[in-house]
Amino acid sequence: MGSTAFLVTRILPYLALGSFLLGVAYRLLGWWRVPQPTLMTLYPTEGSGWKPLVKEALFFPSLFRGDKTLWWFAWLFHVALALALLGHLRVVTGLIDRMLAALGLGPDALATLSSVAGGLAGIVLIAAVLLLLGRRALVRRVREISAAPDFLALFLLVAVITTGDLMRFGGAHVDLATTRAWASSLLTWSPAAALPAPVLLHLFCAELLVFYLAFSKLMHFGGFFFTFSLVKRSAP
Amino acid sequence: MNEQEQKVLGAINAIKHGPKSLRLYMDLCAKCGTCAQVCPVYYGKQDPKYNPANRSDLIRKLYRRHNTLAGKLLGGLAGAQGFDQAEFEEWKDIFYSCTTCRRCAQFCPFGIDNSVITRKARTILDSLGRTPARLQKVVATSLEKYNTDGASPEAFKEAIAFIVEEMREEHGTDIRIPVDVVGAEYMYLPPSGDALVNIEATMGVAKAFHVLGLGDRWTMSSRCFDGANYGLFTGNDAHMKAANKECVDEAKRLGVKVLLMGECGHAHRVMKRMMESAKWWGTLPFEIVNCMEWTAAHIQAGRLQFDKTRNPQPVTYHDPCNFAKSCNIIEAPRVILRATCMDFREMTPHGAANWCCGGGGGLAAMNEIREFRVTVSGKKKREQIRATGADYVATACANCKRQLGELIEHHGDKVTVCGVHDMLSRAILIDGKAADRKQYD
Repeated sequence: MGSTAFLVTRILPYLALGSFLLGVAYRLLGWWRVPQPTLMTLYPTEGSGWKPLVKEALFFPSLFRGDKTLWWFAWLFHVALALALLGHLRVVTGLIDRMLAALGLGPDALATLSSVAGGLAGIVLIAAVLLLLGRRALVRRVREISAAPDFLALFLLVAVITTGDLMRFGGAHVDLATTRAWASSLLTWSPAAALPAPVLLHLFCAELLVFYLAFSKLMHFGGFFFTFSLVKRSAP
Repeated sequence: MNEQEQKVLGAINAIKHGPKSLRLYMDLCAKCGTCAQVCPVYYGKQDPKYNPANRSDLIRKLYRRHNTLAGKLLGGLAGAQGFDQAEFEEWKDIFYSCTTCRRCAQFCPFGIDNSVITRKARTILDSLGRTPARLQKVVATSLEKYNTDGASPEAFKEAIAFIVEEMREEHGTDIRIPVDVVGAEYMYLPPSGDALVNIEATMGVAKAFHVLGLGDRWTMSSRCFDGANYGLFTGNDAHMKAANKECVDEAKRLGVKVLLMGECGHAHRVMKRMMESAKWWGTLPFEIVNCMEWTAAHIQAGRLQFDKTRNPQPVTYHDPCNFAKSCNIIEAPRVILRATCMDFREMTPHGAANWCCGGGGGLAAMNEIREFRVTVSGKKKREQIRATGADYVATACANCKRQLGELIEHHGDKVTVCGVHDMLSRAILIDGKAADRKQYD
């Protein structure tokens, strides 16, 4: 195994995931701890409890009211992202396959499901992220507030999605047994067979993104729950 | 590092310890541009310095430079930047071009309220003596005389005597405005303008008390007759609390059970949403109610009757941001206007989604930016008003009234600005008939 492959498959996974988990915990805890002395409820509120939070997190109704074009880009992007993340569980564990098999899904049906849902997610993801990038570069009110971190986040996403799509649509066959063996070897600190080059490339881009997540504005997936609660939930 | 820079950075570093909202706003903005899409100022002029995300970034990048690991290590790559004197010189103009209307927060996918960042910047400016001169003067007057107009108790009493005389001429009967009555049930606290200049709103309230048989159960105070509180706008909490305490102490001294706030959005917000909810002065011996809610409840209970033909012209209502967005007082003024006017029309959009008049956050008081207010920040509002075809635009805020008046005057529109209780004053039946009204406009 070359030193690059060693770095990407044996070292960076721990670093990226470690920085992600610690970073996210650090930031969530920081946000959780600081006090909010004044009530800043913004009317009309969406009621109390978890319902309005879940609704906002799943469907982005505020954004829908504010900017419908962006809503389509953003919502499709996030849905496809969720789908892709779910699909990637199959890359690292056979558990999903066995569960689906127990539900009566044969190997052929599973392969069809994978190529339809995964393929769709792959297309929507690259389309949405390119539209978001184009919007950032071309729409005046967005371009004038964009700086290095805004483009960096998008470029990282483009890299991850492109290398992923190349595997799905580029004809490179990726054996799930190999990736699963690699994933379990990470857990057990044992050696495993080398991963093919396209996987290495995709993995490397993903590691950069995961490493970057906790330090970036992409942390909105955690911070949103705090900020939204402050303005849109009914006062207790 | 000079003293000024030290002070600025000290205040910005303190964001790390709260409030929670501000700290999160430093970390979260995705720069999606939705705020610019819904901002009245940016609508008026697509200038990068009016883009809300850019304005807030002036604070954000300093915070990130000194308080985040990414900012310390990566600098600009992480959206961080050090103190820049030339840029700081522009803060005053930039942070006093935000009307703090909170419309951005309603549409931001994360609920980021840029007005909180604007107020923080103004707090810093104030600590360095950089608050616009006009607003400094208003605050000083208010702390010295307990009202933003600088009127004496004697001048107030004269104004009240004048209002009472006017009402006698209108209705041929005595309609009281009790002053400084210890043991009254209600203390009415309007913006001082409604007692001194635009007197019809106060006439409307007095007439409602009269009809309800409560003419001797309420009072105004010759010491505190102004709910306005400019510390909210300059970001100075000590000033805001000092001005507020005068009013609260006066209500306690008079022993009232209800503090009836007038047609002034930010005054009601400071009193109800900030002072009362955060318990600045502990538990209060009185309840805080807005006069529009109070009147609307009596109208809905059928206790007040009107002759709508006295207000035949088309009337629209401008929702003051502080009432609609921060206090949820949206329906009450409409109950009053529908009951008292023949042709009430809504703007699109209205209620909490309404566009700011362009003079919020203290801007209306700044003569030096009148041009900006009537051509940029008020542009959308003017379009909204014109689209209704209304002859009257009623609103419940002294700052909105001033801004709307100047906006209309500048463009030569044929629209008159008035208060909500003004329309009630003209239509309410006293002893079976409405006022023989004089022209106050």
